[in-house]
Amino acid sequence: MSLELLLIIAFGGAFLTYFLGKISSILRNISAVLVSLALVVFVSCLYNIKIEKIFYDCFLGLPLAFKLNSLSWFFAIATVSLTFLSVIYSLDYMKDSKRTDYYYFIMLLINAGMLGIILSGDLVSFFIFWEIMSWSTFLLINYNKGRALLAGEKYIVMSLIGSMCMLVGILSIYASFGTLNINAIANHLSTASSGYKLFLLIIFSVTFGIKNAVMPLHTWLPDVYSESPTPFNGILSGMLTRMGMYGFLLLMYVIVGATEVLNFGEGLLKFNYIFAWIGAITIIIPTFIALLQEDAKKLLAWSAIGQGGYMIVGITIGTSLGMSGGIFHILNHAIYIVLLFMSLGAIQYRTGGERNLNKLGGLIKKMPIAFVGTLIGIAGLIGVPLSNGFVSKWLIYKTLILEGYPFLAFAALIGTWGCILYCYKFIHHIFLGQLPEKYENIKKAPFSMTFPIIILSLTILVFGILPGIPLKVVNKIGISFGFESLNVNIWGIVSETGTLNTINIFAAILIIGAIVWIVFKVSRKAVRVDQYDNYAAGMAVPKEKYHNTVDYYAPFNRMATPFLKDIFDIFYKKIAKSTEYTCDSIRKIYTGYVGNYVIYIVFFLAFLILIQLKWSVF
Amino acid sequence: MNIITLFISPLIALIVGMLFMGISRKISARIHWRYGPPIIQPVIDVIRSFSQMSISHGKFFDFGIILSLTGSFVLILFLPIGELCPMTSGGLIAFMYLMLLDPLGIALSGGVAANPNSSIGISRKFLLSLAYEVPLLLILIAVMTHYNTISLVYIVKIQASSGWAFSSWALVLPGIAYFLILPAILGVRPFEVVQAPQEISSGPIAEFGGKHLAFYTLQHALHMFVGLALFVDIFLGGWTLFGLLNPISGTVLGIVLGIIVFLIKMLVVLIIGLFINAVYPRFRIEQAMKYLLKWPTLIAFIGLIIVSLIN
Repeated sequence: MSLELLLIIAFGGAFLTYFLGKISSILRNISAVLVSLALVVFVSCLYNIKIEKIFYDCFLGLPLAFKLNSLSWFFAIATVSLTFLSVIYSLDYMKDSKRTDYYYFIMLLINAGMLGIILSGDLVSFFIFWEIMSWSTFLLINYNKGRALLAGEKYIVMSLIGSMCMLVGILSIYASFGTLNINAIANHLSTASSGYKLFLLIIFSVTFGIKNAVMPLHTWLPDVYSESPTPFNGILSGMLTRMGMYGFLLLMYVIVGATEVLNFGEGLLKFNYIFAWIGAITIIIPTFIALLQEDAKKLLAWSAIGQGGYMIVGITIGTSLGMSGGIFHILNHAIYIVLLFMSLGAIQYRTGGERNLNKLGGLIKKMPIAFVGTLIGIAGLIGVPLSNGFVSKWLIYKTLILEGYPFLAFAALIGTWGCILYCYKFIHHIFLGQLPEKYENIKKAPFSMTFPIIILSLTILVFGILPGIPLKVVNKIGISFGFESLNVNIWGIVSETGTLNTINIFAAILIIGAIVWIVFKVSRKAVRVDQYDNYAAGMAVPKEKYHNTVDYYAPFNRMATPFLKDIFDIFYKKIAKSTEYTCDSIRKIYTGYVGNYVIYIVFFLAFLILIQLKWSVF
Repeated sequence: MNIITLFISPLIALIVGMLFMGISRKISARIHWRYGPPIIQPVIDVIRSFSQMSISHGKFFDFGIILSLTGSFVLILFLPIGELCPMTSGGLIAFMYLMLLDPLGIALSGGVAANPNSSIGISRKFLLSLAYEVPLLLILIAVMTHYNTISLVYIVKIQASSGWAFSSWALVLPGIAYFLILPAILGVRPFEVVQAPQEISSGPIAEFGGKHLAFYTLQHALHMFVGLALFVDIFLGGWTLFGLLNPISGTVLGIVLGIIVFLIKMLVVLIIGLFINAVYPRFRIEQAMKYLLKWPTLIAFIGLIIVSLIN
């Protein structure tokens, strides 16, 4: 089991798929599925294996290294599994699109890039794979043209700023320590000054903050999520954005070290406390902006930013419970956001790309599997008990309350209650209410699309009822960072300050539910009526679409809209505009006439001569 | 023992909840100078509803109402009623999340029904709950921070030895805030914007008839019970009575007396609340939100600041 082979399959598979696509589309599809499946099998075989080795000795005079440990395995398995499901999902969704070879190629290339990032043991290869991932993402965001081009432009500018910050950080590390191996840096840093550590923390946080869309660096995300192809949204929101979280974990707890990060600064100005507050703001504001959205994909995009805040809060508090909560939430979020995007994609596929929430409705009767997928997805997103989101959020809240951060706890909890509102809006506008007449003859989604939806729904329930399965892996990561081990059981977590036993909750809901259901069944049978046969207080319900969607939370909208502008986006756009203006005026110097250039040269020489005559510097 | 409590708790909650519904109708009728229905009227209504025909808008319409009633019963199991508390897993945080099941179930049912009135009612319900959750979360966090635990049973136990939370000055403000938002939690006047029969023909339950309506009434009774019981558990010491019951706690007599004390406390809270609220007309949804986000939130916020400063 060598990691080289894994990366060769990942990168080679991407190219192979592209060239097979030139021969036949069926071969290409088979190749894409097999490559992504092979990666899943390969990575799952690497469970519990620790590898550290140098695979290329002299790249610009630096050794390149691989590293596999519990943290990288956790991210790797999530990445390859979600890519596998997204590839299957794409089979039908992208069937009629143009440039499909290109689409699969880039998708697999992004997957390979992410695997590379996760497995890098030094910062050079980390940077190279990071760039491969960022650039290929840019190519796929642009896939749909039109507005997507603008979104892609925004993404690449912000991504480049992030990369440049990382480059500065890497160069400064090389200049001070002469090595870029992650473990070696960690050793050197323990003796470095705290000012230098702070510099590194901040400069890398900009990079990872942009990728993870932490406020105020989030502005690329809503545009990009809403304009990129829906099957790709899964990978984008599930794992690619969370590479930022991987970066944060690597930076804070591997490179700088837990004891250092958690004791930085004094009192309220502690580094991790301030960072947790940034996370809390990232929860609250995007959650309420999501409430105002009328576009299904934009709603999910803002929600994804908000959920990123929980992860930040979880990992920065720095107790073993909070750490597990934060890391577990990365996985949980990946699962349910992919599920939601896929269910939405099924709707888009059948309704001709409709994503305006106000134009859908009543699809529960036509697409039951997509509905159940969405229902379980929003249960996870809200954190309803028995879904995976409940466990991770429970861990985070418990940490915040018992460690004495009541206001952070409040911010996190109110984010959840805001989340309920937009989740219900999402499911209500699409699936509930009256079915418009034009969707009378709509068909169910094809199997290749329902298969990933079913798998992900089951995963949410399994992880919600038996959270011990993923928590055992998460716990190992915590231990490798130097935190105490948690007492994890298959059904939850035991601790002195409160035990979580999801099997108990499951059993209670199951038994009571069964009793209630039986009572419901034995009582008098209800008469089935159609959607137009309902009570309207004496008025006739119009036969046309009569679905209460527009301005659903009207009183809230009136109250909150003035406060919920994306001021950072407006600010960045102003900067971009003024830069454009400045550059434009500088450009006017280049007139294109040789005579003008000669004049410039003459003036410049005259200026130099003047200086020489006056101060004789040369 | 545990098996018995698993059945006793929901039964007590159901009976008491139904009686409280009847009592509240009677009392508000008397305040309005009407005679009012008999106290067992809600029970009669439920029995009658079961025998009547109902309509269904599909499987998920039924599923929603079943989910809602199930959620309410499960919630009762996590709530200390006197000294009975069959399930403790996850503490108050899990309790807060389990409280979601019943509105989500109703919202699902109401949504499937495709009735615009239901839809308006649900949107009001969510807005109202967002507005009262802001102070409620502040209150619950203040209590959990003050006692440094997330376990409801433990919160009650501490009060048995150190006196009611309401009488310890740190938690006075959160207690007042809870009392102010209690009518909104229970959905009674002036906060009955969700149902508002005269405006949106009973809102989420417009399409419910027969057994669906009966299920909804049961769920509503349980919901009322939970709202009151949570207040009594957190602020009025649950089953404790100035330390009088402490020596016999754990014995059968102690448990029975504890439950009786607990229910009397709930009744007192309900009646005081009714005296205040029965004279108010209904708020509009904006007014309700503004009220909830102004005074109760401010009081709860100051309460949380005080609690966090003490710790």
